[in-house]
Amino acid sequence: MLNHAEASEQFIQDAERTTWHDETLWFVRSKRDKASKVIPEWEGLREHASQIKDHVLANLGQYLVEFEAKAKANGIHIHWAKDAEEHNQIVYELIAKHGSKALVKSKSMLTEECHLNSFLTKKGVEVVDTDLGERIVQFRDEVPSHIVLPAIHLKKEDVGETFHQHLGTPKGNKDPQFLTEAARQHLRGYFLAADVAITGVNFAVAETGEFVVCTNEGNADMGAHLAKVHIACMGIEKLIPKRKDLGVFLRLLARSATGQLITTYSSHFAKPREGQEMHIVLVDNGRTRQLARPEFRNSLKCIRCAACFNTCPVYRRSGGHSYHQPVAGPIGSILAPNFDKKSNVDLPFASTLCGSCTNVCPVKINIHEQLWFWRQDLMKDGLAPAGKSLSMQGMAWVLSHPKIYRLAGAMGRFVVKNLPFLVNNGLNPWAKQREMPEAPKESFQSWYQSRKS
Amino acid sequence: MSTREEILKAIQENPLPLKSHPGDFKSFVPSKDTFLDFQASLKIVGAQFIHVENADLAQDRLNALYPGLARYTSQDVVNSGLELEEVQVLEIHGEFGVAENGAIWLRDDHLPHRVAPFICQHLVIYIKKITLVGTMHEAYDRLEGYFADFGFFLSGPSKTADIEQSLVIGAHGARSLTVIVLDK
Repeated sequence: MLNHAEASEQFIQDAERTTWHDETLWFVRSKRDKASKVIPEWEGLREHASQIKDHVLANLGQYLVEFEAKAKANGIHIHWAKDAEEHNQIVYELIAKHGSKALVKSKSMLTEECHLNSFLTKKGVEVVDTDLGERIVQFRDEVPSHIVLPAIHLKKEDVGETFHQHLGTPKGNKDPQFLTEAARQHLRGYFLAADVAITGVNFAVAETGEFVVCTNEGNADMGAHLAKVHIACMGIEKLIPKRKDLGVFLRLLARSATGQLITTYSSHFAKPREGQEMHIVLVDNGRTRQLARPEFRNSLKCIRCAACFNTCPVYRRSGGHSYHQPVAGPIGSILAPNFDKKSNVDLPFASTLCGSCTNVCPVKINIHEQLWFWRQDLMKDGLAPAGKSLSMQGMAWVLSHPKIYRLAGAMGRFVVKNLPFLVNNGLNPWAKQREMPEAPKESFQSWYQSRKS
Repeated sequence: MSTREEILKAIQENPLPLKSHPGDFKSFVPSKDTFLDFQASLKIVGAQFIHVENADLAQDRLNALYPGLARYTSQDVVNSGLELEEVQVLEIHGEFGVAENGAIWLRDDHLPHRVAPFICQHLVIYIKKITLVGTMHEAYDRLEGYFADFGFFLSGPSKTADIEQSLVIGAHGARSLTVIVLDK
């Protein structure tokens, strides 16, 4: 597997596409700015949302128990899963019990995190992703590159070609309207036939036992209201105490995500419909571990709006797949090391620490600080890349020996001035895409000393 | 130990400092004119807007908007959502509207089936002008103490921008939404 820097290097090979990717996401970020500035109390809303989430995390056990009791009283079946494997097994057993071989699934980052699709496919169950972007990447045997815009790495020509291969649309047709219509017709057949529908959960309300699912396409509802069995999968941190708290979160979510006033559909599922079975799977998968780490606890407040993706200068120019994780971008980079430090050691370093993510986060997660905390944590565990550890040790040694420091400075100035090829080459990462600066004639120290005399 | 107990135990093992709930959000700026704001929001979310005194007066406009399409007006419950597969234009009543985002609250006991407003090709919603509220906070105030088995906010027709960020109206749900605001 390529690390983030290596994968980014491949991504930026196509300069035109990189610029397009960068500008497209910045456009979404600009829409977010516009939509948020319409609300004078925006900053107050962010603060309020942050406090509600802090309160939930401090009382998570109590709210889980309350939610479970209310949802059960509403006729919903509740399941608990400690990890991805148990989650997948629960979902599979429900499907198997109903003898279903095909199911429709709307967007759920949790099921991506648990790799549910590949698990079910191996068991012989056909999973049909019904979000347009997810269906596109599913056809291409890829994973989403963005949690809100799963196919943002693709151009319409790519989608046209994919649909030509899988849906038989005319070759060369790349009209978004036409392609969306083709997907609508194609997926409608699956909606009408599916016995089981899986959805994610945006918010689960402890007070009422209901859960809210937000979409623009209407795919979650088309699936859930037609299927005999509705399975909703959620991380345990998705709880909120009261229904009125939804007022705060629904004002923030879509505005932060895409600059919309609200998603087209904000569906409140409280009871199964007549003759329907409704299940909720509550999943831990490392969340209680993250909850116990004071410096990383805040990451559990995330409502998956992806505002931090759209604003991130690194994400915009490296693409979601470079992060080799279901949740990419800045928030993904602080969630991933909790799953596995070793294989995600590169991600907290995939940032300039500029802090833009923290500034746009609707629940005020200190994302850039957590990236920095992870860097320290990973270095302490000796997991940093060998080159990085070595150069840091070398630097520490030089900086703690003034004579050697001065000698090194003089050598550096001499090399940059007289032997520039020694630094302006591919071995020096600082010389990639940029020229090394001109070396000053003398060091600050020698200038200062000459001034004194 | 069951997984449930395991998870709850893992949470209890690390008691966190007390953080109180901040309460209801009060410091919102109220809408000066909910009717005008609602209308502006509907335009942004891609819905058509008709303002008439009563429902009868909207019929000519609807005939012009949906020429030759059958209109489904019954609220009688159907057993299977599949029965509604061929519905072209569905007419339903919304409970109240939200000015700041054009959202309309709908509940399943006012629908022939939960899937009805999603499976139809075009959707028409009647709503009384007097029901309009400014923000989502006021919307949830209105829903206080009242429970729907299934209810939802709908704002505009179904849409997607998953292909190169090009907005396309009519993803899986209704291809168009007409909101008829009634004086009475």
